[in-house]
Amino acid sequence: MKILGISAHYHDAAAALVIDGLPICAVQEERMSRRKNDSAFPLAAIEWCLDRAGLEPDDLDAVVFYERPMLKFERILTCALRAFPRSWRMFPKAMTNSLGEKVWVRGIISSQLGVPSRKILFAEHHQSHAAAAFLTAPTERAAILTADGVDEWATLTAGHGERNIGGASSIKLLREIHFPHSLGMLYSTFTAYLGFRVNEDEYKVMGLAGYGQPLFVNEVRRLIRRTPDGAFALDLDYFDFHTNAQRSYSSRFVDLFGPPRSPYDPIDTQTDEGKRFAGIAASVQKVLEDTLVDMTRALQLETGLRDLCLGGGVALNGVANARILAESGFDRLFVPSAPGDAGCALGAALYADRIHFRNGDRDVPDHPFWGPVVDGDDLARIAREDGQQVTTVGQDALIEQAADDLMSGRILGWMDGALEFGPRALGHRSILAAPHDVEMRDRINREIKYREQFRPFAPVVPVEHADRYFEMPAGGARLARFMSGVFPVRPEWRSRLAAITHVDGTARVQTLDREMAPRLYELLEEYGKRSGVPVLLNTSLNLAGEPIVNRAVEGYSTFLRCGIDVLVAGQTRVMKRGSFLMKRKEEVA
Amino acid sequence: MPAAALDRLLTPVHRWIWRDHERRVQKLLRFGDTETDGGRDLLRAAEVTSDPLLRRLYLVHAIDEQRHGILFRRRASAMLHNLRRDDSKSAGAEWLAPAGHGLDDLDVASESDETMLAFLHVAETSAASRFTVYREVLGHDPATQRVFDDVLHDERFHMNYTLTQLARVSPERHRARLWRARLTRLWKVYLRVASAIAGVMGRAILTVQYFVIVPLFAWLAQREARREQLGWKSIAPERNESMARQY
Repeated sequence: MKILGISAHYHDAAAALVIDGLPICAVQEERMSRRKNDSAFPLAAIEWCLDRAGLEPDDLDAVVFYERPMLKFERILTCALRAFPRSWRMFPKAMTNSLGEKVWVRGIISSQLGVPSRKILFAEHHQSHAAAAFLTAPTERAAILTADGVDEWATLTAGHGERNIGGASSIKLLREIHFPHSLGMLYSTFTAYLGFRVNEDEYKVMGLAGYGQPLFVNEVRRLIRRTPDGAFALDLDYFDFHTNAQRSYSSRFVDLFGPPRSPYDPIDTQTDEGKRFAGIAASVQKVLEDTLVDMTRALQLETGLRDLCLGGGVALNGVANARILAESGFDRLFVPSAPGDAGCALGAALYADRIHFRNGDRDVPDHPFWGPVVDGDDLARIAREDGQQVTTVGQDALIEQAADDLMSGRILGWMDGALEFGPRALGHRSILAAPHDVEMRDRINREIKYREQFRPFAPVVPVEHADRYFEMPAGGARLARFMSGVFPVRPEWRSRLAAITHVDGTARVQTLDREMAPRLYELLEEYGKRSGVPVLLNTSLNLAGEPIVNRAVEGYSTFLRCGIDVLVAGQTRVMKRGSFLMKRKEEVA
Repeated sequence: MPAAALDRLLTPVHRWIWRDHERRVQKLLRFGDTETDGGRDLLRAAEVTSDPLLRRLYLVHAIDEQRHGILFRRRASAMLHNLRRDDSKSAGAEWLAPAGHGLDDLDVASESDETMLAFLHVAETSAASRFTVYREVLGHDPATQRVFDDVLHDERFHMNYTLTQLARVSPERHRARLWRARLTRLWKVYLRVASAIAGVMGRAILTVQYFVIVPLFAWLAQREARREQLGWKSIAPERNESMARQY
């Protein structure tokens, strides 16, 4: 069967194609349109998926949308009614927004793709999350927990799943917590309060938390209380997100925590104000972790299962994931490479295949590389047109040159094979650098990422060596496969891994096995031979405000606009020639 | 140039707008977003063109636009420090939809180089004439005036290269392209104004409906909400039996 999964209209739209039970390709629309978190109907992503598989829309057996639009509309309308008359400003906006496009998904898909409406199916949003987490994980039986901000009514679900290779699969979500009670919205509210962008910058709150002490835990606990049945409820007096499209927190929230941070003010964690914000970030982080640990512990006791699959945007919180792994009683924790809404495209397609059509279960390849493949020849052509220093060499020589570059302090743009599906660069569209000095971290922040100094960079390490440098608990290496866990750097290595060690002594590690990304693995080994430490700083190949690059030309334009010294794509290596663009400007002027 | 003449004519209005500290901050933030969005679109143009020279020029232009975005935001940020802390305003900022619309909603990836250059030239000329007026009415705020000086310096380069390159890639028809770009811009302005008016009307109608039709249903919904138990809700197994329905 050929099933296309689609997620769209909230944030981070995506398309994924499943043929005969296996994913063939998946890509986020932002990687095609170059608009970060593009939520538009993912036509470019769909076209690419169909092209990749050599299919016409007519060939599809089903097109699955990742949520039930009318159920979502019911939630929006009901919330507006419940908040009457405070919702009078929000109501026209919400109605225009929903009725303008979002509830007509069946018609949009049908008209855009030309498929008959009987082929269009809908999965519940958290079913899609659950399927993305469970049906892609190498486990046969697992508990499932999904948590995000909001979509339909559910904001958190708990259940379990079972897979039998070649046989039937099941996903049973047993219970859920309804909007507006939402861990994702709690975290997003603090994201907004701390002056960051909602649905985009939540990871900054996690980074900032490392600089603070959780001195406001009691205050945060006033906002979220546990219910007797083990769930939680938000005290809505402190929030406005359910009644107001402009602001997510109420005046009472501000009375409790003090004035919010202006998004335009820099954060200095040395000042009293900076310490206050870091303390608030640390407090909400701790409460989130405590709540998730409690709930997953209860789920483990209830199901008696050894594995947990975690889905939804909250699963991007690597610090919380590491605590769940350590304290919940589960032996293994699986978080997919795209646990957020983009991943729902794949989840919805797999759900339809396994559960709706009852097709036999198949192991999904355990990697995140489902996107377009980079063409090194493209890079060579473009760079030569610009008179750049281009070399095309064999694999071994390229790896050796790259290791030499890294040893001499150069920063590498690294493009290899198929693009990652999900928000993390896991070795195919990465910026790589030596991980040893703080100066390197500051240089990348200053010359490449143009971002706040408090944000850490992640390391990548061969899985066999991870335990030497990082305190990995049992199951930690698995969690770190897609960079989903934050673990302590061993104290004796912190000074030699200063560029990737966060202020609290931790790092968001990626453990790499050879099969997943063989070229990067070889580069790590080669670098290890030279430096004695087979660890590299690995951050996504993009600039601030832009999505991760897809094609060679996008990598090249990124390379030209920032402090990356060398760009590698396939077998092509380009070395930057001085301030190339500025010279050109002078020539033309 | 009609646009320039109109800007001149509206100088008193611009003076009134730019006199107010807070309005100035909002304008600068909006310019920051517009320039950043424009930079993003130019970057896309650089990535899709097959002309190596244009690729380099678009990249330079994109970098300029992104720098302008930073300059505008930095100036706004400095001015915000002088504003009294107002929770509702500063808190709302991160929820604001981006004010910029990049290159006037141009579908950069599918436009030809000729169309792109003509459009850029017209847009840059118009921006330069408007920024010149802004610069003049900002005599009382030298710091903001300097930002416009800086931006205007780049705009001159942008106007020149777009015209030169348009003449290169479309030697026969470059004037026609420019006129077409002007008319397209005018049409886009009309569409924006029309949709803004439609939006206001729609909001007004929905607001009236909200207060006339909604109250009874709101009362029922609120009564239902009061009865609702907090905590877990169980999921009935049959709820998800059909994937054909949307609710």
